[in-house]
Amino acid sequence: MGVRFFKEPDLKKPILICGWPGIGNIGFIAAETLRRSVNAEEFAEIESWDFFYPQKVMIKKGLMEDLQFPANKFYFKKLQAKDLLFFIAEEQPRGDRKAYQIGEYVLDVAMKFGCQRIFTSGAAVALIHHQMKPRVWAVPNKESLIDEVRRYENTILLSDIEERTGQGYISGLNGLLIGIAKERDLEAICLMGEFPLYVSHSTAYPKASKSVLEVLAKILRVEIDLSHLERWSQKTEEEIEKIYEQVPNEMKEQIEKFKSKPTELGPLGEAEKEKLFREVQEFLKRSKEDGEISM
Amino acid sequence: MERSPCEVYRFPDFQNPSLIVGWQTQDVGRLGTGVIDFLNEKLGGEEVGKIKPVDYFSLSGVRIENDVARIPQTKFFACEKNNLLLFKSDEPEDEWYRFLNFLLDIANSLKIREFYTINGNPSLISHSQHRRMLTVFNEREFGEDLGKYDLSGMYYEGPPALSSFLLWCGKRRNIPGASIWVDVPIYLASLKDPLAQKQVIDFLNRRFSLKINLEELDLEIENQSSKIEELKEKDAEIKRFLNLLESGIGLDSEEQLKLARRIYDLFGKEAEG
Repeated sequence: MGVRFFKEPDLKKPILICGWPGIGNIGFIAAETLRRSVNAEEFAEIESWDFFYPQKVMIKKGLMEDLQFPANKFYFKKLQAKDLLFFIAEEQPRGDRKAYQIGEYVLDVAMKFGCQRIFTSGAAVALIHHQMKPRVWAVPNKESLIDEVRRYENTILLSDIEERTGQGYISGLNGLLIGIAKERDLEAICLMGEFPLYVSHSTAYPKASKSVLEVLAKILRVEIDLSHLERWSQKTEEEIEKIYEQVPNEMKEQIEKFKSKPTELGPLGEAEKEKLFREVQEFLKRSKEDGEISM
Repeated sequence: MERSPCEVYRFPDFQNPSLIVGWQTQDVGRLGTGVIDFLNEKLGGEEVGKIKPVDYFSLSGVRIENDVARIPQTKFFACEKNNLLLFKSDEPEDEWYRFLNFLLDIANSLKIREFYTINGNPSLISHSQHRRMLTVFNEREFGEDLGKYDLSGMYYEGPPALSSFLLWCGKRRNIPGASIWVDVPIYLASLKDPLAQKQVIDFLNRRFSLKINLEELDLEIENQSSKIEELKEKDAEIKRFLNLLESGIGLDSEEQLKLARRIYDLFGKEAEG
């Protein structure tokens, strides 16, 4: 059990970008789009069987020919500006022990190739309207990175959100990995695209992935073709609009307030936010049960 | 103090035994556990150990089934005269790979020759029809050897059962293994299916020269069939459903549910237990 290498690329201080499924698949879509955009090459994988239940079996005339597990692969790309490493996983492990173990493997590989900077990416569930451009919430693992993060466009720190005063919690590997990286004195930043509070977490939200990628493209000094994400975002928004049209007016009035900057929401307190969230979720659940929507 | 992840009550005296596994989670037709229980009863199997459930099952409380609290079971039984090691277990909820390898570690320490898992396959057939016995194996030669019996090689692509995961683990360790999948009428899926059980025991009889008398199962089959026949005579709708299945015509999900409910009511706790 461990990491299996197919190739030993010669890399100079690469930057590692990680992506795995999560709310709105924001991080996964961002990392995978970037990987495809630069045409990165696969060179290693984490042997998945100790972490995941297999996804698919192939049996032919009685013989079990193959058993497939969720992929956890490493890719690399040598670029003029910077060498890149990618870790892209099809599933997040269940349980703290396994998540920590995967995190350690990822960082072992990163350090083996002299990586000094890591980016993870995920969702920031926020009071944002789906017609708005999602911002990126950035959480670095070192104070020395704060000034750099402040210079990123369309990006905020947790302390920029009045009600959070710099406090929060990043669940899953996105958070854990930057934490373990800190233990190893590696710089890491988690970039989280804003995701509307009232949208179902299983809905892919490429609009937020695009925001994350715009930030990453500048940091990495790479050109990324985002036209596919733009089309996909448009389609997703149309789907959300269809549901939104059915939302009762009273609920809609509350959601419309999200078009203001979240910090300017004023009259919407914690209790009201929670009530609204519950009401919208209940509405969506009812609609699904009635077969009115298919998201 | 480090505690062992398994408890062994007694080391059985075996000569390259075969391992037979029955999962009691989602045990279609009660086939996996039914076969293990039947073998234990007829061959004088003795409980020799268990894998401790810690790490593999949620143990924040206990589940209550039919008014009784139960904890996940993972038990080994030895039928020494027949050289069979039996394993009756709930399917683990986590750490599948570790669990399956631990099972194979124990089996390997007893120098097992091969292993089998027994499974029911819910099918749109009638209880009076012949049951296909499908097999999946992890080594071609082993599969060819099993070809002597009435087993058909399965074709399948999709989400794997735990039995397939076990076959894969066995293959990595060069232990030949096979899963036996027997068709079980959809309306007997949550009950006992004595005909499916008889077919498996018949296969094991031939494979291991067990000489188990099957009369008891014949009686159960007869009893079950006659009760269903009585129901058919009383209930025109059930008769229609069963006739459709016998003609090879499927039922829609509502019809399947209705039929399953009526058959379940007919046998109730007697058949369930």
